[in-house]
Amino acid sequence: MNELFLILLFILIGGLLPLLLTRQFNFMKMLSIIFICGGSIIGLFQASKRLFGETVFSIEIECYNLFSIALQMDAISAFFLFPIYIITILGAVYSFHYMNKPDNSLKTALSYLFFSLLTISMVCVVLANNLFTFAISWEIMSLSSFFLVIYDYQKEIVRKAGYYYFVFTQAGALIIIAAFGILFAHTSSLSFSAIHTIPENTKLLVFILLFFGFGSKAGIFPVHIWLPHAHPAAPSHVSAIMSGVMIKMGIYGIIRFYNLLGSDSIIFGQIVLAFGVISGVYGVVQALGQHNLKRLLAYHSVENIGIILIGLGIGMIGTSLKQPLLAALGFSGALLHVFNHAIFKSLLFMGAGVVIQKSGIETIDQLGGLLKRMKVTGITFLVGSLAISGLPPFNGFVSEFLIYFASFKGINYNEQSFIPACISILSLALIGGLALACFTKVIGIVFLGEPRTVELKSIDEKGSSMMVPMIILSAVCLIIGVFPGLFIGMALTAAKSIVVIPEDVLLTNVTEISQNITFAAFILFGVIAIVFLLRTIAYKNKTITMSSTWGCGFTKPTTRMQYTGVSFAAMILNFFKPVAPAKVDHPVISGHFPKETYYHSEILDIAEINLLQRVVKPILVIFDKLRWIQHGDIHLYIGYILLAIILLLLFI
Amino acid sequence: MSSFILLAITILLAPFYSAIILKVKAFFGGKKGPSFLINYYTLIKLLKKGSVYSESTTFIFKLSPIVTLSVSFVVLLFFPIAGFQPIFSFQGDVIFLLYLFGLARFFTILAGLDTASPFEGMGTAREAFFSMIGELTLFTVLILFFLISNKLSLAAYFGKLESMTLWQTIGPPIVLVILALYNVALTENCRVPVDDPATHLELTMIHEVMILDHSGPDLAFLELGAQLKLIFYSSLIACLVFPFQLGSMLANAITFFLVLVGIYVVIGITESVIARYKMTKTPKFILFSFAMTLFATIVILEF
Repeated sequence: MNELFLILLFILIGGLLPLLLTRQFNFMKMLSIIFICGGSIIGLFQASKRLFGETVFSIEIECYNLFSIALQMDAISAFFLFPIYIITILGAVYSFHYMNKPDNSLKTALSYLFFSLLTISMVCVVLANNLFTFAISWEIMSLSSFFLVIYDYQKEIVRKAGYYYFVFTQAGALIIIAAFGILFAHTSSLSFSAIHTIPENTKLLVFILLFFGFGSKAGIFPVHIWLPHAHPAAPSHVSAIMSGVMIKMGIYGIIRFYNLLGSDSIIFGQIVLAFGVISGVYGVVQALGQHNLKRLLAYHSVENIGIILIGLGIGMIGTSLKQPLLAALGFSGALLHVFNHAIFKSLLFMGAGVVIQKSGIETIDQLGGLLKRMKVTGITFLVGSLAISGLPPFNGFVSEFLIYFASFKGINYNEQSFIPACISILSLALIGGLALACFTKVIGIVFLGEPRTVELKSIDEKGSSMMVPMIILSAVCLIIGVFPGLFIGMALTAAKSIVVIPEDVLLTNVTEISQNITFAAFILFGVIAIVFLLRTIAYKNKTITMSSTWGCGFTKPTTRMQYTGVSFAAMILNFFKPVAPAKVDHPVISGHFPKETYYHSEILDIAEINLLQRVVKPILVIFDKLRWIQHGDIHLYIGYILLAIILLLLFI
Repeated sequence: MSSFILLAITILLAPFYSAIILKVKAFFGGKKGPSFLINYYTLIKLLKKGSVYSESTTFIFKLSPIVTLSVSFVVLLFFPIAGFQPIFSFQGDVIFLLYLFGLARFFTILAGLDTASPFEGMGTAREAFFSMIGELTLFTVLILFFLISNKLSLAAYFGKLESMTLWQTIGPPIVLVILALYNVALTENCRVPVDDPATHLELTMIHEVMILDHSGPDLAFLELGAQLKLIFYSSLIACLVFPFQLGSMLANAITFFLVLVGIYVVIGITESVIARYKMTKTPKFILFSFAMTLFATIVILEF
């Protein structure tokens, strides 16, 4: 147990030290990173001891007889600790060269403080063992990440993004606290152990409240709106942590409380699956229409949260139907996808960070031809893209394969599982195809082709501390994709604490799956090696000529003639027009001597528009009418308080 | 052993089969048409040549033909040709194979965008869109096959004992599946009415325009990869049309290759009698196959 405090202390020191050392900019960063990483590495050892062994620990500290701080590490907590610590370490290392503006040293120091607080609070969220500890850690997590988002607070767009995030995270917290209130009213205790005793109907209400509360953090449609605002605004290593790990705390909350509520009703699984499907498809369609690189990645988080929820939904349906295999595969697929998404999404955000820092351009259609000038970033980004598109032999495929497998098992069971299973399979296929289109767009437009501006021709990639995490992460993508056995095992251990799974059914099935994936990957590698050899032979002693691209007879091409991301995505977006309406501003070209024209397009987020129009505006109108209450006279305010107390005395 | 021989024969015959389509089209056009060996000549000619690379391209441009051809090989390794046990097989291999096609598509699209050519960009956008819808149909087919056989591998679908074909009680819905798969095969392999491989205008192409800049052995690899992909889809249909259980292995193999000829002739006739659809109509064409499979799935629930 002392180990845990040591870890948290280390990370906290890493956050506090920079405040004292603002004069030595590089030394300050290095010291902070060493402490944060040191603490996290010990943390990783502790978590793996729990996940692979049986050491359970729990602790409870009474405070003033009013409430208690309770922490406990079970298999689910240990599993979620892995992405937290791993991405913290790599994000911290990445930040060394990314935070390269010594002129505002104090600001950087503060960002390290909030960075360490975010890590500590996330660790506490997954370890929390009563409602009080959970709520407090959750709140610290939200606030510290809010301060990280508004790092560049001088820019108006960043402040706006921060505001969005703040509103959503606090509204989410409000709903979560409301659910906790209902729980407390029924059990009159703050501990987790009594939650399952509440009546069945209340369970559903609590679950729905918690689902949307946690969903606002995780980025479930329609409460995902803050993601595309906050991620582009935040520094890239912060986006990596937030998108890779912090939004998974929402998923953790859903899993944890589903487990604590312990209900067998199938409606839970159906709700989760339905929102998973909507978030998944909606997220990827919106992503396809984005022009800003980090905004696009943010919508992909919505998509991946959708995939995770699909897995969870299938798992929950399996639990209610008493199908251990279905449940085990669904849950472990979802959990593994949590881990995988943490890996490839932080990789992609880090790559985007390098591109944006070096070029100063965030718009996809203004970039181009970066692969020749940024080899490491380009190749690691390619690996991340293959992984997020779920293509073999990378890690995204493994978790999607598990969810597919679970869904197919659901097809033949009974009609209650048939329709969810079909929906899950088809939406996964659709999401896969769209993600492929989206990431070929990103790689093709940003990294391939010719640079679209002159400045891009002299771009380079320096800053080894940014390259190392990206190389490590892409290696992990490949390792999980080829040897998934260990990682599926980890996810399964965590899944076992959600559902009871008979050992024998499982072991054969799951080891078989992981062996098959390894086997298939090796066949692919083998055949590619043979074909590569054939190609080498075919090109022996051949003349290779370099020339310009075939322009179909046109001899004076310019870089501006390249296909753009907007036109690449146009056909697909047109097909999905009802869910992704486009706002196009383009004066018609007319006359024999047309004037100069322009084209501006934007894909609108229907959730954002409807929420603004249908919810926020009416509320504002009502509150506008109540403004007379708020007049600034302190005497009357005291009067209000008195009135409230008298009224309460009457009622209670 | 016989699986290996059959695989080798299939790979060797793939260029010949593609020539059948040309021959049928020539017949409808009242022409003599090229020799049945035309594709072999082309491949040999390309392999003998060197290559011209665009200065815009990166290693991805050279990687794309390798991945495309490898994927086509791997997919055939898992296919039970003429009802023989395939060389490799495992539970879930169909999902793996469909995703492998995705991998190949990923690299083909990237290679197209790598050249910085607006024409190739246009082709890639179409490819990404159309195959996305095609994938939906294929996964619906998998759901249907799973309902029938409770398995997730090609060997289980078309292996000797439990093979699914038209000539069983499940026949009627299988007719729809065959039609749907035929549509998808035309889409995925860029044939008329989705794409016209014989067209002359780059603006109207899909597959051909994406590989516009490839030359020499690279182009040969891409061509062979495409021919193998077509033979994979045709074999899929052939297996559904005809049960290869004639007793003798030789007879099985011979009928299989004859049925394949039939399917290629049908593709040739299709290409000869209908024109290419407008690009905007193509999604409807593919979605129609999705609708057919979905309907077949609903029907099969009652069997």
